[in-house]
This record gives sequence, C-alpha cells and structure tokens, in this order.
Amino acid sequence: MGRKGVLKIVIILMFAVLFIGLANLDLLQGSRFRRLSDSNCIRLIPQEGSRGNILDRNGQLIVGSRISYDVMILPQEPEQIDRALEGISRILNISPGELKSVFRKNYFSSSLPVTVASNIELKKAILLGEYKLEEPAIIVQSNPLRDYPYGTLASHVIGYVNEIDRWRLTKLEDYGYKTKDIVGFGGVEEKYDYYLRQEEGGLSVEVNHRGKFTRVLGFEPPRNGRDVQLTVDLRIQKIAEEALSGRKGSIVIIDPQNGEVLAMANYPNFNPAVFVNKRTRLIAGLFNNPASPLINRAVSSSYPPASIFKIVVASAALELRKINLATSFLCRGSMMIGSRKFSCWDVHGMQDVISALAHSCDIFFYRTGLLLGAQNIHDYALKLGLGKSTSFELPYETSGLIPSPLWKKINRFQNWFDGDTANLSIGQGDCLVTPLQAVDMVSVFANGGYLPSPYIIKSVGGVDLSAKKKRMLRVGFRRETLEIVRRGLRAVVSGSRGTGSVLSGLKVPVAGKTGTAQVSRGSTHAWFVGFFPYDKPKYAICVFLEHGGPGHAATVIARQVIEAMIKQGII
Amino acid sequence: MRSSFFRILVLALIIAGLGILSIYSSTYQKEGVWQDIYKRQALWVFLGLVCFFAAARLNYRRLWDANYLIYGIALFFLFLVFALGIIRLGAQRWLRFAWFNFQPSEFAKLAVIIFLARYFSKKSVDDISLLSGKFGIFRGIILPFIFVAVPMFLIIEQPDLGSGLMLLLVFVSLLYLTNVRLKYIIIMIAILVLPLPFFWHFLRDYQKQRLLVFLNPNIDPLGAGYTVIQSRIAIGSGGLFGKGWLSGTQSQLYFLPESHTDFIFATFSEQWGFLGSILLLLMYYLIIRQGFIIAQRTQDSFGRLLAYGISLLLALQVFINIAMNMGLAPVVGLPLPLMSYGGSSMLVTFIALGILVNIDRTRSVF
Repeated sequence: MGRKGVLKIVIILMFAVLFIGLANLDLLQGSRFRRLSDSNCIRLIPQEGSRGNILDRNGQLIVGSRISYDVMILPQEPEQIDRALEGISRILNISPGELKSVFRKNYFSSSLPVTVASNIELKKAILLGEYKLEEPAIIVQSNPLRDYPYGTLASHVIGYVNEIDRWRLTKLEDYGYKTKDIVGFGGVEEKYDYYLRQEEGGLSVEVNHRGKFTRVLGFEPPRNGRDVQLTVDLRIQKIAEEALSGRKGSIVIIDPQNGEVLAMANYPNFNPAVFVNKRTRLIAGLFNNPASPLINRAVSSSYPPASIFKIVVASAALELRKINLATSFLCRGSMMIGSRKFSCWDVHGMQDVISALAHSCDIFFYRTGLLLGAQNIHDYALKLGLGKSTSFELPYETSGLIPSPLWKKINRFQNWFDGDTANLSIGQGDCLVTPLQAVDMVSVFANGGYLPSPYIIKSVGGVDLSAKKKRMLRVGFRRETLEIVRRGLRAVVSGSRGTGSVLSGLKVPVAGKTGTAQVSRGSTHAWFVGFFPYDKPKYAICVFLEHGGPGHAATVIARQVIEAMIKQGII
Repeated sequence: MRSSFFRILVLALIIAGLGILSIYSSTYQKEGVWQDIYKRQALWVFLGLVCFFAAARLNYRRLWDANYLIYGIALFFLFLVFALGIIRLGAQRWLRFAWFNFQPSEFAKLAVIIFLARYFSKKSVDDISLLSGKFGIFRGIILPFIFVAVPMFLIIEQPDLGSGLMLLLVFVSLLYLTNVRLKYIIIMIAILVLPLPFFWHFLRDYQKQRLLVFLNPNIDPLGAGYTVIQSRIAIGSGGLFGKGWLSGTQSQLYFLPESHTDFIFATFSEQWGFLGSILLLLMYYLIIRQGFIIAQRTQDSFGRLLAYGISLLLALQVFINIAMNMGLAPVVGLPLPLMSYGGSSMLVTFIALGILVNIDRTRSVF
C-alpha cells in the first residue's frame, strides 16, 4: 500500500473515532447527559398542599391548617442576593446579618430556592410580594401549617407533626418520602400519615446559566391530604379532659355496642403547636420531662388492674361452675395461704359473688381464685381481651401482661405457688392492663357478651371505614354468668356499702367496679371501670389515675364526667 | 468534470445552511446585535459562494506563478497582526477592516499549502522527474520547514495554538505524500516531539491549563473545564433524535460558551441528536473523499499535492474541532469549517473548495 492509501485509512479512522465518540455520548451516556442538561436549566419551586384535617365524629374540626408565608430567595448573583436580603430585612425588621446567616445555613445548591424567613405575617407577605417586582429573586411562598384550635385537646390521639427523622426516612423512602418532609409522630398523625399527607406540587421553570428566570415550563397543582374523621366526640373529649384537669392518668370512653372510642384523654399532655413553631426549648422540655407527657397512657402504658380484675375472676368461676349465686365465703379480714397471711382491706363477713363484687372483698376472690386455678384465670383474662393487643389503630400500643404458671417458669425461672394465684385473683402481682383494655373488658358485660375491637378512625377521605372494622368478638359466656356479674357491678354503685356508691345519686344508672392498685413505691393507682346507662348501656368508661390514691378518687372523676355529660344533654 | 463541482457545491451549501440554522438557534434568545448574527453568516456564505465560483473559474496553475506573492501577503498580514498585538498589548488574531474582522491565520493555512504544493512539485530541468525524490535532508525537510515555521510561529504568538499546530500537521502529512524519504520525516518528527517538555515552558498559562484540563476536565469544572463539560452535556443530552431545532437548552440558555463559533457542533448535535450528527459527519466525509478522488485522478503533481493539501486541511480541522467538542481533543481555538460563525474561515474554505473543483476541471484540459 502506498503512502496515499495509508493516509486514506488514517482519514477513515479519524471519522470512525468521531462516530464512536458520538455513539458513546449520545447513545450510551445519553440519558445521563440528558439529566445533567435538565438539572442545568430546570428549577422547581415547590408548592405545598395542606395536610388533611382531623375531624371529630360530628365533623367538627380538631386539627386543621392555616396558611403561613415563607420568604425564599433564588440564589443568583451575590450582589443581587445581598440587595434582596437588605430589602427583606427592612420589611421584616430583622437585621441583615441574621438573615445572611440563615441564608448561609439553609443554602443547599444554586439550583434550589433558599428559605430565609418563615411564618411571617400576611401584611408583610403582601409587602414582600410587591417588593418582588423590584427584586425578582424573592419568592413569597404560602405554606399551610398545622393549626390546633383547641391546643392540647386530644393531643395523644392526634400526635404531632415534625420533620422526618432518619429512622422513619429509611423505612418510608420507598413510599416517596423525602428528607425534610413533615410527617406525623404518634397518634393519628403517624398512623394515617400516608392519607393525611399532602402531595407537593410546584412550578417548574427554566433558567439560564446565571439562574435567571426565562420561562415557565409547567405547573403541577399541589394536592391536599385526605381528611380523617375520628369516632371521638369533641364534647365528651372536652368533658373528660376537664375532669382529669391536671391529674396524671387517663380516661377512655367507648361505645360498648361497637367499640368506637368516644373520648381518650390523658394527662400530662402536650401542645402539638410547639412542634409547628419549632420552639426548641419547649420541645426539649417535652422529651426530658420525667412525667413523659408524650406517652399516650391509655394505650401505651399498662398498670396492675387490682380489683377491676375481680370481674374476670368472677365471670370465669361462674362460667366454669366453680361457684354459683349461692356460694358464699366468710371474710374475717385475713386468711392463710401456705405459710403467708393474705388479708382483705376490711372485714366483710359472709359474702356471695354479688356482694363480694360490690364490696370488693379480697377473701372471696382469693378463695374463688384458688378454686379456679391460675391457668383458668389466665385463659379467661385473655378471653376478655386482656394480656394481648387490642389491635387498636394508634401506634405504640402495649399488650399488657397476664401471668400464668408457664410464663413464670419461662421468665422468672420459678414455680407457681398458690400465693401467686391469690395475688392474681385480685389483679396484683405481675398482672398489667392498659386503660383501653380495661374499658374493652367491661364492655363485654355492657353489650351482652361481645368483646369489641376498639377503633378511633371513622372515615378517611370521606370513605366510611366502620363497616370494614373488625366485628365484635363473641366471648361465649352463658346468659346467667353475664347477668350475675352485671348485677354485681350494679351493686358496686347502688349498694349502700358499695365501693362506687358516689355514683348512685346520678340520674343515669351506672354499673362498674373500682380498683386500688398497690405499687412498690408511691401512692396507689386508682381505677374505675363501668358502663351506663345500666339497662341499655351506651357508654363504657375507664378512669385511671396514676398514683391517684384509692379507687374512690377515680370514681369521683367518673361522676364528674357523667354529670357533665348529663348536663350537656349528651346522654 | 461537472459532477465533482456539483457534489462539492451542494454538500458545502447544505453544511453552511445547517450552520446558519444552528447559529440562529443559539443566538435568537439573546438581545441586541446577537440577533443579527445569522444574517451576517448568511452574507458570508453568499460571499463565499462568489469566491467559490471565482476560484473555480480561475486556472489553478496561476497559483503556481503567484505562489510567492500569496505567501508574501500572508506573511505580511501575520506580521501586521503581530505588530498590532505588541502595540495593543494583548491577544490579537484579526485585523479590523471596514466592517469585518479579517483573520490572517485562516488565509495563511491556504497560502502555506499552495506554497508547499509548489515546492514539492518542482521538476528537474533534465528529465522532467520530480525533484523531491532527490532532496536531501536540507532541501527536503529543513528548508520547507523554515517556510512553514515562520507563519506558524507568528500564529502561535497571536496566540492561536490550534491554527499553528494545524499548519504543522498539514506540513507533516504533505511531506509524507511527497517523495521525500521516510527516514527524514521520522527524524523530523523525532526532533519536533523530543523537545516538547522544553516547549511546555513557552506555552502560555491558559494554554497549559487547557492541556491539563483536556486530560481531566473535572479539575476545574467552573474554569477551563467548564466548556468541555457543558459541550459534552450538550452533545450527550441530544440523544438519538435530538431536542429539536430551537429547543437546545444548553446552547440557548448560555450554558455552552462559544456556542456559535468553536462549539457549533455541540449546538447542532444537541438539537439534531445522534442521527443528525452522523449525517453531518457523513457530508464532511463525502466532501473530503471527493477531494481525495480529485487528487488521485489529477496527473499534474502540483494540482495533486494541492488537492491533497486542501482535503487534509479540511479533514484535520473537522476532526480536531469535533473531537474537541466531544472532549476527545484539547480545547484549541479552531473553527468547524463551513459551520462556525466567522467570515475568514468561511471565505477561505469556499476558496479552497473552489480551487479543488478547478483542479478537477482543468485536468481534462491537459
């Protein structure tokens, strides 16, 4: 081949190199470069929809949204930013230095608008909107924020909203959650976040190499989150919270006929608005408070049930025919079990099952419990919904604990003794129950033998969910058993020496059971579980006071609640 | 023959037309004088056509006679630029005429090719054989190199490294095509390449920077590497079919500097994609191939060398410019013939094509 041929091949090779280079850029790496090109010139200005509202059962607003205004700056040339910041500082009365440091802190990349001030007044927002004509780098963004018209009301049911944390982000990334997203923590806000959540829309604009706006490419309207309607009745919730007024504990009121939660009040509570306003000091206070105000005591804490557990023992014994209406035991104030002395809180004399319930006689239940055996008590407690989760909708539900010989063997490496049975018979020992479980358990005797699965969400986005809820579970007690226990519970209130006799003067007949739980340190826990009206129960209630003294204290609060409900014409 | 005349004319016109479209698309969003730039380019294409027809009519053998004059004029202009550059203390690549800027380096490329073609096709008085086969190392290499080195030095001093190196490349490839012994050529290349590290010190800072950036554009993404990165993005984002005419965001929104001159290929490729770019490459290839065909069938050794020289000049400029657009070659200021905005390059390219056509036409007369 001559020199000319060689040269020709060189030329062809040169073009081949260009061809391969083009194929590499366009075909192999084309999509990557396309992305780079888009990120060069496309900027997104996000617009938030508003988070779904939370309503009560009558459609009354519990949590809504209000519009707040944020000022953002599209980072462009430095001197332009300085000028814009100066203008903003003049209008907002914030020193330019402070604005500058905020800008520097929030600056992410030249492609994203930077928030320099948030939550500003409407008037100033309008002023800034006019100023934008001079300084196009300014963006005034309307931003719906969570609004709590009732402050702390039902705070544990609702939960709060805050910036997503790392743990939730890793879990929810696949569902389209991003860093800096506002998500729910605790309560309905967390559990139904996916529905409440708004969809971000926004403006996509084209900019040139200096970040200067050239044209609008598209607009995607933001979508509001779906509303969640609760089964809670705002009036009853208010009554319950007022009755609790500053005492540690919780009140749960449900409809025993279907398990709808009508009120769930806890104290200490918190104001979810502090998370919206980012009041760092207050938020830190909430987390560091030893009384744990963020805990929903009604579902997330469990306590020894004490005498309210006697309902379980009584119904188990009746059901297994270990006792009947005629069975009586003599209470002399104490008895020996093994080598230990077990005492009653009073001397009751001869007690049958009804009077033993009414007077909360320990001796009767020690004996009944021993007749039954620990395993039977455990089984019937589980049948009545204790010791396991109620599969309630709010997060962080605890299952409580009903001990059994097997449990003790596994967890304590110890044998079960009769003393343990006696302790269990009066709801002491290792036994733990949540207030929600307690009210669920007593509902069985209010509705004629069905264990409700309590729920708090009535509808989401206008779709009624109550039909999809779990059915009431038939416990399978004999009519007779139910009737006897019901009479016993009524006697607690109506009997002259009944432990709940404070409730007897009410216009509405109430039945229930008190409980005083002894704890290793501090004052006793006070319980009252019951339902009313007695003949046709519409409400089941549990009042629990943490270290609140004797059961009587809880009964007094129950009386306040029921009185207020009568007064407001709810019953 | 008519066919080569028409082929070259049609291909050159299509490419120049695409060039005008690309210039329009890259500047139509800019304000002021920018908006008229495509009209000026259209004017240059028109003037180029006039030159093309004129050159095609003018017997190329006259260039043999005017050879020293042309070379002298080119040197004169280069000296003028050099002198003005010293006076104005800065980069100076063009001479300002009444209403346009004349870039002598473009003209010098053609002048040097004509000069070399003549030099190597001188014949022995005795037996009409080519003298170049009997050249020793002095007459074969050193003497012509001096003639190339003077304008090359002046061009590199402007500073315009790309055009200067272009002269060198054309010189080496023309040497290769003549009968000069291969041994001498290799010796010359060795002499040129070995002291390269030494020449490094004579490069200007920005030229060093560009060479370093060529090796890794990301060392300076906002400075010298910026252009290459943006131009690669522009080409790559075109994909298979391109973003469509007037829809190239890279070139229209100023992300790509020099989008209407040295980086016009990136502008074109962003809008017309892989397919459009391949078609463009094909058209360039066809023109160059036509040049080679003309050279091959020309009996006259001056005409042959001239045709080879012109085709090589075109091929090398196209290759280096597009390779630099794709980041395969360092960024040296070289226009893409027939497409980049600029009168001098356009006129010289059309004149060169006209000479090419004339060589083919005159062949039949002999």
